[in-house]
Amino acid sequence: MTATVPPHRGPTMNLFVVVWIGLILIVGLEVFLTYERLPAGMLLACLLGLALIEAGLGVMYFMHLKYERPALFWSLIPYLVFALVMMDHFWPDALRLMRQRMQGP
Amino acid sequence: MDHSATSVGAPHGAPSEGSPYGIASKKLAIWLFIIADAATFGVILFAYGYLRLANPDWTKPFAFSPTIVNGIVMTVVLLTSSLTMVAAVAAAQAGRTSAGLRWLGATMLLGIAFAALHLREWFAMIGDGWRLFRNPMGGSPLFGATFFGITGLHLLHVICGVIVIAVITIGFRRGRFDAGHVETTALYWHFVDLVWMFVFPLVYLMNVR
Repeated sequence: MTATVPPHRGPTMNLFVVVWIGLILIVGLEVFLTYERLPAGMLLACLLGLALIEAGLGVMYFMHLKYERPALFWSLIPYLVFALVMMDHFWPDALRLMRQRMQGP
Repeated sequence: MDHSATSVGAPHGAPSEGSPYGIASKKLAIWLFIIADAATFGVILFAYGYLRLANPDWTKPFAFSPTIVNGIVMTVVLLTSSLTMVAAVAAAQAGRTSAGLRWLGATMLLGIAFAALHLREWFAMIGDGWRLFRNPMGGSPLFGATFFGITGLHLLHVICGVIVIAVITIGFRRGRFDAGHVETTALYWHFVDLVWMFVFPLVYLMNVR
């Protein structure tokens, strides 16, 4: 017995071009914000937010995840996000432990 | 590619269940690789972020021209290569082999252009005295290590991607590879593009003078 993959609907090239223009506009916005001389923390938050939007657009449209079965999305993305959040959570501990090293004589 | 005709698994007539994700195994494999590689880049970017925060004398060496302008051009080149790649996949799936080959060729050329721009920038920095652990501007020597490390890993992915696209293009032309292979390669290429969407703002824009 051979399992078959059901057909899935796909986006048109016009939609890809719209996504591409959107991504370029976001890059332009990032450069604009950089030269607005925002405080470093705010600039970092803005750039990361925009990069996440770009990544979302790329993953959902260019990488077709929006048009795959939802199971694929839920099997991959939440675990990656969880792993990255855990890294962010534990990195400060790594730096703190570095400062707690015993000093040599 | 007609997905209705795609067989999944079942070698030699062995009984098997359908894929829970409705995709071919090679596509699932590349997704798993992408997730693992995304975690790798995540670790490196987190490490860079904390090193940057932990060093108050962090250097901000990048001027708008030439570095940021070069970075914008590189970003547009890479984004455009993603667009040509989706065109290649669409053409391959529609059975338009010659169009698919042309788009794959365009993607390769854009990838080579990105790598060339990147190397030109590297050589300019090395000419200015930047090394992995030497900072000619007098700030933290870790800047060179993080900059060359992160962008070097990404550049390695781009070069590997160009080589893989070349292999797939040749195989697709000879009929050894099908649209599924083109699609799988495209997933990797888009991932390389998405990583740059984080590298450019975090490594370049956060370090402008």
